[in-house]
Amino acid sequence: MGEFLNYTVNGALIGLTYALVAMGFVVIYRASKVFNLAQGELVVLGGFIVWLMMIQLDLPLIIGLPIAFLCAGIFGFLIDRIFFSRMAGQSVFAMVMVTIGLMILLRGVVLVAFGAQVRQFPAVFPVFPVIWGDFLIPQAMLYGGVITVCVALGLAWFFNRTRAGLRMTAVAEDHQVAMSLGISVRRSVIIAWIMGSMLATLGAIIFLSNRSISFITSEIGLLALPVALLAGLESIAGLILAGILIGIVQGLAAGYLDPALGASVSSVLPFVIMLMILFIRPTGMFGWKTIERV
Amino acid sequence: MDPAGTFATSFVRDQALIRTRWQWLALAAFLVALLIAPMFVGPRLVAIGIGIFITAVVVLGLQLNTGYSGQINLGQAAFMGVGAYTAGVLSTTFGVPFFLAIPLAGVSAALFGFIFGLSAARIKGFYLALTTIAAQFIFHFLILSLPTSWLGGSNGIIVAAPDFFGYRLSTDTHIYYLCLVVVALMTWGAYGIARSRQGRAFVAVRDDDVASGIMGINVTRTKALSFLVGAFYAGVGGALWAYYVRYVAVDQFTLIHSVWFIAMIIVGGMGSVTGALIGVVAIVLVQEGISTAGPIVAEAMPFLGGQISFAAMNIFLGGIIAAFLIFEPRGLMHRWIIMKRSYRVWPFPY
Repeated sequence: MGEFLNYTVNGALIGLTYALVAMGFVVIYRASKVFNLAQGELVVLGGFIVWLMMIQLDLPLIIGLPIAFLCAGIFGFLIDRIFFSRMAGQSVFAMVMVTIGLMILLRGVVLVAFGAQVRQFPAVFPVFPVIWGDFLIPQAMLYGGVITVCVALGLAWFFNRTRAGLRMTAVAEDHQVAMSLGISVRRSVIIAWIMGSMLATLGAIIFLSNRSISFITSEIGLLALPVALLAGLESIAGLILAGILIGIVQGLAAGYLDPALGASVSSVLPFVIMLMILFIRPTGMFGWKTIERV
Repeated sequence: MDPAGTFATSFVRDQALIRTRWQWLALAAFLVALLIAPMFVGPRLVAIGIGIFITAVVVLGLQLNTGYSGQINLGQAAFMGVGAYTAGVLSTTFGVPFFLAIPLAGVSAALFGFIFGLSAARIKGFYLALTTIAAQFIFHFLILSLPTSWLGGSNGIIVAAPDFFGYRLSTDTHIYYLCLVVVALMTWGAYGIARSRQGRAFVAVRDDDVASGIMGINVTRTKALSFLVGAFYAGVGGALWAYYVRYVAVDQFTLIHSVWFIAMIIVGGMGSVTGALIGVVAIVLVQEGISTAGPIVAEAMPFLGGQISFAAMNIFLGGIIAAFLIFEPRGLMHRWIIMKRSYRVWPFPY
């Protein structure tokens, strides 16, 4: 029983980390109608900026992290200026391909700038796990989970309740309609990329704390895909539930199915779930249903 | 647009691919040049030529699927892999001759692609892109988790040289001619599909699938068919690859290869068979240039690190996709058509 609860709780917390990375997808989508497949690369980039600040330049936490977030924001702004400011109203194919191009481009840039070596990521959170009865929980995961839930609720409130957030939501509905209502699509897209890039850095700090970072870390973007799809691409608060669900399923599969079957079922299972969502209900649990007109 | 003085007087004339006597001459000269090329150029260029031919077959299929029908397909490399494995197993285990194994490889890839084509009936756009990415991972997972005695697992399989009634096609020059014949047939086929009723249905579905459904086109059937055709081309290309490299492994067919294929149709021009061929030639030549220059640059400037070639390849691929989509979304073919038109109507503006 203790074992089962341990798998469940740890799975749920890992799921919340995925949800934080998936939040980058959703925030960018919610404000610009671009699904950014390069989110994993943004996480790596954010991670390397933090690494640069804290290990290379040896800045203390309290100075290093704000500078890292500032850099990430500037970087998101640049990505928007260079790539997406000219893409308003383009087809889905063009948008998907530009983000894939961005993904591959950023991987090359990271390789040139930081090399292919595996580096030690600074321990932002205390290293020792919390032991509480039968539970053994890494502190980074615990704090990360709390941060994720707070950020998700805050962003959900921003997008659903404030005037600025609703304006950005209108952009996600339809670029042309939003423009004709006097909403600046450009500004909305800029804000989306700055927020998405900062969220990626936050995800990197929580996911990578006291682990190692290299350009392959970008796989976290792929792991977060099923969470974003299960929640639906437009729902931020739904990410919490979706992340916990996927995390628990994966945690239990790793605990019970993997030893029994001798294969890495747990690593494939989220993607099987993703395919099922795509086939059965592509809008996920809380996504918007769109009506098509000719 | 035709040169001045050339008018079509019948539907057959209007549909013709080759419209003037000079075009016949140019085509004949081009084919003869390709035929005699291996006698004059070195083995390296022959190898590059084979690479271009094989890639051209695969990309022609992707052009029909993505360029003409507008179905985002990020799994073309997986379909190619299915073809390569089929050809490898058929010729090595069952001794099927290559002229049967190549079409059969196409058929098996087409069936695999058709399954994903059916999903295009329900979902589209970004969700379809994700599903085809999933095809890529399903392909890898299947090959690696099936018993090693079937498909070789992570070891891959060794393929015997193709055998033409006792005459072994073992050198690169032989393979060059085999690929040339196949690519010529497949290009002709692609032009035929593109200007047929089905090709027009593809274009209608790409431009607006709801509207084309109202016009009486069976949208589900058209989408599934476009995946079927595209994957058939990929399978044939995969079979040629298997006979050329004579070794098939799962890491020859990854997502990044699919992205390269899409980059080729973006650079060449979406919705144009000639554009696909132009894109293939342009990108393969740059790839070869980077992989040749990479080691030299790494030696001259060691501070850049040993993986400079890999990094440069990534920067080039990502940069060219983004640059073309932002600045020239209709590709090189569009630029060429503008130039040709202005040349033909000169001195008039239109």
